Amino acid sequence: MELALTAEERAFAEEVRRFLRAHPPETFPVEGVDAGYGSGAHSRAFLQALAAEGWLAMCWPKAYGGAERPMFFKLVLFEELALAGAPFGPLAGSWQTADAIIEYGSERLRREVLPAIARGEATFWQGYSEPGAGSDLLALTTEARRDGDDYVIRGHKIWSSHAGIASYGLVFARTSREARRSRGFSMFVVRNGTPGMDIRPIRSLTGDVYHHEVFLDDVRVPADLRLGPEGEGFVALLNGLDSDRFWGRFYKGPALARVLAQLVEHANTTVAHGAPLARDPVVRRRLASLAADIAALRLLFWRAACRMRDGAPITYETAMAKVLADETGQKLARLGMELLGMWGPLRRGSRGAKIGGELSHAYLTSLGHTIAGGTAEVLRTTVAVRGLGLPAEPRARAEAR
Amino acid sequence: MDFTPSPAQQLLVATARDVLRRHYPIERAQALALDERGFDDTLWDQMAELGWPGLLVPPAFGGSGGSLLDVVLLVEEMGHACLAGPFITSAVVATSLIAAAGTPAQQKRVLPALAAGERIATLACLEESGAFDGDVALACDVPGRLHGRKLFVKDAHVAHDLLVAVRRGADLAVLLVPADRAGVTRLPLDTMSGEKLFEVAFDGVAVGSDDLLAPADAAAALASALEAGALARTAEMVGGAQRILDTVVEYAKTRVQGGRPIGGYQAIQHACADCVRDVDAARGLLHAAAWKASEGLPAAPDVALAKAYAGEACLAVARRGHQILGAIGYCEEHPLQLFHKRIQAASVDFGDAALHLETVARSIGLV
Ligand SMILES: Cc1cc2nc3c(=O)[nH]c(=O)nc-3n(C[C@H](O)[C@H](O)[C@H](O)COP(=O)(O)OP(=O)(O)OC[C@H]3O[C@@H](n4cnc5c(N)ncnc54)[C@H](O)[C@@H]3O)c2cc1C
Repeated sequence: MELALTAEERAFAEEVRRFLRAHPPETFPVEGVDAGYGSGAHSRAFLQALAAEGWLAMCWPKAYGGAERPMFFKLVLFEELALAGAPFGPLAGSWQTADAIIEYGSERLRREVLPAIARGEATFWQGYSEPGAGSDLLALTTEARRDGDDYVIRGHKIWSSHAGIASYGLVFARTSREARRSRGFSMFVVRNGTPGMDIRPIRSLTGDVYHHEVFLDDVRVPADLRLGPEGEGFVALLNGLDSDRFWGRFYKGPALARVLAQLVEHANTTVAHGAPLARDPVVRRRLASLAADIAALRLLFWRAACRMRDGAPITYETAMAKVLADETGQKLARLGMELLGMWGPLRRGSRGAKIGGELSHAYLTSLGHTIAGGTAEVLRTTVAVRGLGLPAEPRARAEAR
Repeated sequence: MDFTPSPAQQLLVATARDVLRRHYPIERAQALALDERGFDDTLWDQMAELGWPGLLVPPAFGGSGGSLLDVVLLVEEMGHACLAGPFITSAVVATSLIAAAGTPAQQKRVLPALAAGERIATLACLEESGAFDGDVALACDVPGRLHGRKLFVKDAHVAHDLLVAVRRGADLAVLLVPADRAGVTRLPLDTMSGEKLFEVAFDGVAVGSDDLLAPADAAAALASALEAGALARTAEMVGGAQRILDTVVEYAKTRVQGGRPIGGYQAIQHACADCVRDVDAARGLLHAAAWKASEGLPAAPDVALAKAYAGEACLAVARRGHQILGAIGYCEEHPLQLFHKRIQAASVDFGDAALHLETVARSIGLV
């Protein structure tokens, strides 16, 4: 057992901290709202600054311009960025797409898309969900019909995060009606602006535009923009969802640690009934208990990371860690709102807002986290069925996700 | 034991339900939440015609002399409709304060207009701590000039009168001053619920002895007014949580995923079951506290219990509501978020759970 970072990893963490001191994260322009996952707002400028350090491609094979650094370097980078509250929103999605392209992408995807990711230019939206296909993703009806060297995609996607500002959509569509239910799906990398693609904003409960509805009206996509073999998209997606849960939440723990520190500062400096709030035993205990939650969460993710590094199977580990991450985030946001009392509901930018009005934003966005990327209900079932071997509910198919 | 409201109360509730359904659809609530003024004058006039703002005004001043229980039953319907505006601020809190401690001249001047909905009054009580614990630091000599600020003053933008809690020597005093008196500035705060809260700054505002509420009664009347506010906001939460329950149960029956309505999954069934428990339990405590208060029995611990319990229970309903609805509940267009934000705002207004549970703690004998 060795529950610490290696000397090289620590040196890299220090390098990242130096970078953050030289490039204060709050000085970067952002295009898209912070959805509260811990990766901050969508900022291409910030991605490009990371790219300039050579960090975006650092773990890729040399053949694709990478430096073949171990995967843990990505985790070290994530932790430092999240602790600093940096706006690296789209990074996890770009990296996952890059990994998929490296594993089974066409020559064209490797040639065109990988370099754009490495430069911090390409970001991706996920076109999975549809109005009738949420937890039961396989109920989707979007179809990609083969037509010569192209596919023609027709359908209706919804809840696609940041689709309006990203560069490409990862569109999940049915490519065969004959195949068994879980076969016959393929993934396509579709550039924004392709004729026939209509992206419409949906305003969220924070008042910001985050989600989009995407209408695909005979969108013509060259066959070499298919990601992986035809009909095998679902298997790829399943693996992708396991890693989605991991990569989409790994930075939540450190991001929560940052919020906890803000609340500690608030408790130390706010006087209630003649004493700092921090002297209130209930406040102390609840904040301390969240520190324990966050520490446990971090270890669950690093443990899952070790399994991934060692090639050990992942059955329930990332599903479990994701649910814990999201529910811990909700618990912290709730506590923050309670501690702030009448100040809690003030929005970012309001006159007099405490902690910059961040808590009200965190409270609202956290409500979506136990839904996005697999609901807490469905993932608990995954843990029970796939992880613990309990029998599945009759006819319950959605657990397959 | 009988939980049935009186025939008059049933009529009040049925009328409220009908009027709000017809004139205040949820889209209206959503539009007003995003509107800077956030106030429906036409509906306010209709409410006045129905006598709602006069419920707590004695008949001698043009009101109907109703009880807090009447108010609570009415406000539950308002919560169910997600009604925005100054009803609780003006018709419950300010009105009961003036009715209890206003001088005869003040009562004669203000109460009939409040009862008729022609005037709106609001309470300026909170300061830097944001706590409803009765601590008031803002000092004022009477006659004299008022310098300083109050925070979280609700609906100050539409208010004609401000009831300002101040410290006068060692005593708590309440001033009744017109909101447009020279030196008063209202600065909006931006809240996630769209509720209109203000910082009110007083820059040498002239205060005369006519502006003072009866000094002997002010402190006790303020405490009862805060209690009435706590009860009314509890009713609003219960009404809102009931609406969320109605919405999610309906959705669970109709949204199909994995080949069956999601309400067929035990995870969703359990969540719905917890929601109905929370709503029913919170309503029980609310009605018990309001009944006691209306009977003139000591109700402070009951109000505290109801407010603390409902705050947690109704927020839990709202959060579960999000979980049951999935992504659709995350968008602004769906009303769930608005009910949730209103419940959240109500849960901290007129005392949060920490404050009220302290009252409960004392009432159960904790030293
Ligand atoms: C913040 C956010 C970001 C998102 N971003 C994207 C994105 O970028 N791209 C994209 O494609 N999608 C995105 N989504 C959509 C997300 O994937 C879906 O919301 C999710 O899969 C759930 O689907 P649904 O909302 O339709 O809810 P439903 O599937 O209708 O579920 C409703 C309720 O029923 C429960 N339920 C459903 N099936 C079962 C079952 N078998 N057993 C027990 N309970 C069940 C659910 O747990 C939930 O409580 C996002 C959603 C959110 C909230």
